[in-house]
Amino acid sequence: MMGKHSMGAHVEVPSDAAGGAARSRVHMTLPTVPAPARTSATEAAAAPVLDVRHIEKVYGSRNNVTHALADVSFTVSRGEFVGIMGASGSGKSTLLNCVSTIDAVTSGNVLIDGVDVTAMKASKLTKFRREQLGFIFQDSNLLDTLTARENIALPLTISRVPAGETLVRVEDVAARLSISNVLDKYPYQMSGGQQQRVAAARALVTEPALIMADEPTGALDSKNARLLLECFETMNRAYRATVLMVTHDSFAASYTQRVLFIRDGRIFTELRRGTSSRQEFFNRIMEVVAMMGGEASDAL
Amino acid sequence: MLFKLAWGNVRRAGRDYLVYLLTLTLAVTVFYAFNTISVQVDIAGVTEQNAGMGETLGGIISGLTLFLAFVMGFLMVYANNFIMKRRKKEFGLYQVLGMSRGQVARIMALETVFVSAAALAFGIVLGVALSQVMVFFTASLFKTQIADFHFFFSPTALLMTVACLAAIFAVTLVFNLRVVARARIIDLMSAGRQNEAIKARNPWVSAVIFVVGAAAIAIAYARLLHDGLPYDGDPEKMRDFLITTATVIVGTILFFFGLSGFLLKVLQSVRGLYWRGLNMVTLRQLAAKVNTASFSMAVIAMILFLAITSVTTGMSLASVMNASVERGTPVDYTRCLVYFSEETVAEMNADPDITGGTATYAVAEQPVDLVEASAKDTIQEGEHAGQPFDVLSIAGDYVQLEAYDSTPRGAREPLVTLDGLCEAVGMPMPSGTETSGVTGLGLMVMRESDYNRYLRFRGMDEVDLGSGGYLLLSDMGATVNDIYNAVLAQGVTIDFGGAELSPVAERVDEDASVFGNSMMGMNSGTIVVPDGLVDACDLPLYYGYLMLDYPEGADVAAADGYIGVPRTYGTVTDDAGNIVAAWGTEATRTTTYESVNSMNGLISYLAIYIGFVLVVACAAILTIQQLSGVADAGENYRILSELGTSTPEIAHSVLAQQTIFFVFPLAMGVAHSVVALSVIIDLVELFGGLTIGGMVGFTALIFLIAYGGYFCVTYLLGKGIVRDAVRTRHAN
Repeated sequence: MMGKHSMGAHVEVPSDAAGGAARSRVHMTLPTVPAPARTSATEAAAAPVLDVRHIEKVYGSRNNVTHALADVSFTVSRGEFVGIMGASGSGKSTLLNCVSTIDAVTSGNVLIDGVDVTAMKASKLTKFRREQLGFIFQDSNLLDTLTARENIALPLTISRVPAGETLVRVEDVAARLSISNVLDKYPYQMSGGQQQRVAAARALVTEPALIMADEPTGALDSKNARLLLECFETMNRAYRATVLMVTHDSFAASYTQRVLFIRDGRIFTELRRGTSSRQEFFNRIMEVVAMMGGEASDAL
Repeated sequence: MLFKLAWGNVRRAGRDYLVYLLTLTLAVTVFYAFNTISVQVDIAGVTEQNAGMGETLGGIISGLTLFLAFVMGFLMVYANNFIMKRRKKEFGLYQVLGMSRGQVARIMALETVFVSAAALAFGIVLGVALSQVMVFFTASLFKTQIADFHFFFSPTALLMTVACLAAIFAVTLVFNLRVVARARIIDLMSAGRQNEAIKARNPWVSAVIFVVGAAAIAIAYARLLHDGLPYDGDPEKMRDFLITTATVIVGTILFFFGLSGFLLKVLQSVRGLYWRGLNMVTLRQLAAKVNTASFSMAVIAMILFLAITSVTTGMSLASVMNASVERGTPVDYTRCLVYFSEETVAEMNADPDITGGTATYAVAEQPVDLVEASAKDTIQEGEHAGQPFDVLSIAGDYVQLEAYDSTPRGAREPLVTLDGLCEAVGMPMPSGTETSGVTGLGLMVMRESDYNRYLRFRGMDEVDLGSGGYLLLSDMGATVNDIYNAVLAQGVTIDFGGAELSPVAERVDEDASVFGNSMMGMNSGTIVVPDGLVDACDLPLYYGYLMLDYPEGADVAAADGYIGVPRTYGTVTDDAGNIVAAWGTEATRTTTYESVNSMNGLISYLAIYIGFVLVVACAAILTIQQLSGVADAGENYRILSELGTSTPEIAHSVLAQQTIFFVFPLAMGVAHSVVALSVIIDLVELFGGLTIGGMVGFTALIFLIAYGGYFCVTYLLGKGIVRDAVRTRHAN
């Protein structure tokens, strides 16, 4: 950790110096443009839940360096539902891993709720991740030996929340996400969509500062994908949960309020839904995807 | 190329192979060390006292080794299956890349060769070291002194070990090749993480199964404690015993089958405990493994039970022998003469090869004086070489007495038989004797005056039979004494050649029944009758006993030495020069004690050997099962880590699961053993007191170290697997 930081310090200078106008523009636009309609502008501007500052991720040795992420900066406000789109290998999953503290950045800082997670020690990170972050993956990542109820309760029991409160909160979140009927089933007794909604409930139950979803609809058919995305909307609306979702599916992205497009480890552009309908937003996303060129077919 | 691949595989899959290597190494070590027993016995100086002891032990141990190698072979197949299961995909990949099945099989065979060779090398080194240390252990077991300790290496033991290892290797290889030969590529490739199908077993059903199992065990315990062991071979008792055994086996299986469900149900009812930390994960992981694990846990509990019980019983029996040798060795030196019967005399005289044309055999009319007869022996070595064997030169107080055959001369039926006595008291014949003779087992007869002379010599109170009394004597333990005691207690009258005899005692006095030094007793039944009856019935002589104590303050070693020097035996003749008897056993107190020590050593050796290998085999199975369980659950542990559980917490959960898997079978085995032993102790006590002494404690310690060692290895390797699982991040 420390080593990477000290190295990052002197990498940052040339990358900033050589930084293109596009990059700094993206960074500049975020604070100036007011937050989307559903969030109160003052709150969002006052305290971004996620503040990503100039992060880089470099793989490989001296002779063979791959920049998975090159000077990426953005913020996410409280209660926002943000999508990150990009083709395979664009660096979107790396970004998510770095933001979610599962992977370490080479340089730059990630602040979650004002706390710099890149400076945290491993032992503290575990606790931080447990309390501040929620995860949803492409495969639901449920423990196959536990029932849905137990899976959802798991983050709470790990945090030693009293049993009574745990069970009430599980029932509550299950009811909101319409999965009360599967609570006593094992993962293998559920459909893929149900599994993903259980995973979403598990991510939500701790009321984390930020929920991260990595291709959550990737393994679902369109009907179940829609159910899951509606479920995310519910989370976002009912719990004011902040969701960061990585996807390469434009349809999934159209459920968000803002989409960041990543290409070759850099933020290419961003789209805000504003007041437009989901269909309109979808069309605009499709345009950007087409504009991003050769990778358009990949991105779809 | 194949060589390189195989070598790389072994190194890469090192952790998987580690358990395999460890167990095989332990097996080789133990096989080698125990097979050097004949050499050890030499160095420990046991053979000086017991010629042939080394060979006997060596023979038994090599036989056992073959059997244990067989057990080990199957264990290794199991261990290997574990490795294979995890590598199916890799073998599939080789074939997809164009390798033939033969080549894949060769890679696998080479891997096994590497591991076996490593195990052999490590094992032999450890075994050689262990066998040097074991010499001291052997010496203490056999209670001897090591005269000349030197480093030794036994090529025979090495050969034996290599042969066993080769056999194990062959078995493993055959099973492995079957896996490769049978598997289709598609199956191999899709074999990824094939977790055990997690069946939604109703915890209520499990809990009920558990309770039924526990109840069955309790019933079996109660039955056993109430009925005891069917040592007298009564078919009804035997049947009851079999029912008890079946109950405990079924109970044990049900117990383990329902265990996880029961724990789940109980802990779920304690909400604060269940919904806390990783407790529910631990319990659910346990419950998920119920199918594969419960049966093997039950089997392991039973094997541990057998190991503990047999080792303890064996060692206790040895200690009983120690205790009974005290009683069975009343004097410093005994020698015994066996008189020829009429039939023997006739046979001998008819055979010119035996008589050599000159000697004649005859039935003794008068007892032979054993002191005089002994003087016809000639000492062959040492300072007294060439001199006659002069018993009186070492004798303090001594006594000679005669035992007579209960079959009168010219008659065919004995006057008193064991079957007759059994019938009189309505008891079955002791097992093993029912079929031994049609005419029945005749007792020996002793004159009242001879017996009183014996009692005086022993410093005991004399008996008075009056004109119609009798006594029964035996030092052969409860099997026959139960019958004799019943006869005496019920006051059974005996028709002895027309005379009506009644018992004058209530019980057999075993201490006053010993006529020769021996560790197990020699007098299976003697009736003491008024002197006149022996003559009136014309009973032929059977045994002549000489019992002798060294003079007060005599040099025991010198006296033992005088007796121990090789002699040529003189012929035992009557006054007319006819040969009337042959020498029977002679024993000093010292030699008797020594043979008990050897017996002790032998039993302890076998018990430890069998016990150790069984315990290691059980522990290895548990280890392998646990590790494969941890590996299968790796995905779950990774998720836990991502949810913010620290690795130590996960390791803690894994430890809890392992503890249950290791401790419950052990606890069950110990519980079974305690109950069984309490019954066995009752039985063994009949033979004279039982002390579960230091030797058993020491053995238990060795076993616990082996078992605990495997537990630690399991934990450490399991932790490593968890760490790996947690580290490998979800692929992008």
